[in-house]
Amino acid sequence: MSVSLILLPLAVAAVTAYQGTRSERDADGRIICQVRTRMRDATLLAAALEETNARVTRDDQQIIAEWQGVRARFVRGEDGIWAAHFSGEVDEARAVEIVSAIDASYGRQVQRAVLQRLRDRAATVGLRLESETVTEDNSVQLVFAVEGRG
Amino acid sequence: MTSRPRRIVVTVTPQGTVTAETVGFTDDTCLDYIAVLEELLDAQTVQSAYTAEYASATTEVPQEDREVARAEEWPGAR
Repeated sequence: MSVSLILLPLAVAAVTAYQGTRSERDADGRIICQVRTRMRDATLLAAALEETNARVTRDDQQIIAEWQGVRARFVRGEDGIWAAHFSGEVDEARAVEIVSAIDASYGRQVQRAVLQRLRDRAATVGLRLESETVTEDNSVQLVFAVEGRG
Repeated sequence: MTSRPRRIVVTVTPQGTVTAETVGFTDDTCLDYIAVLEELLDAQTVQSAYTAEYASATTEVPQEDREVARAEEWPGAR
């Protein structure tokens, strides 16, 4: 008797990678593009942004990422999901393209974090790591022997 | 009868999603590992099903996958 599961880390919201794109103009008439993401974890988001060569600054309320000619201000919604507000040399298509690249990087950050958590904590619940394999699509498969709950 | 070793196979994708499968369980204790994995991974189960191994171990259930718990509408599962 066995089961198969799909699990979604809490760092990732159960929504599509990006959604709700819309544009508006700020008080100075500049276009601001807004894109909702699936990202929840501020630390992993900042790491993902740095992986895209952004200059990143953050405080309690927001994360600012700057590339050449483009600035993104990330703010967390009431649901805990980060949304990006782009300004500069950017239109909706470019904003979605950037969020897509950030999302890919964020996915890899989540993968690293989940793998680290597994390696660090599996033994505490009676699971012994037997093997670890990287597959063609860069997924990582870990096989654990069940040794009883510790 | 020699029992198979019990294992859990976890696959973590570069998109950040996780699949897990229990192998070699002969009773429903495999279901206990749903909560264990959620806690271990800091994750929520969005889809679950009994495997073919489950079907071969029982005679009362249909061969097709059955929903186990908390299957939700989730875009990534499509």
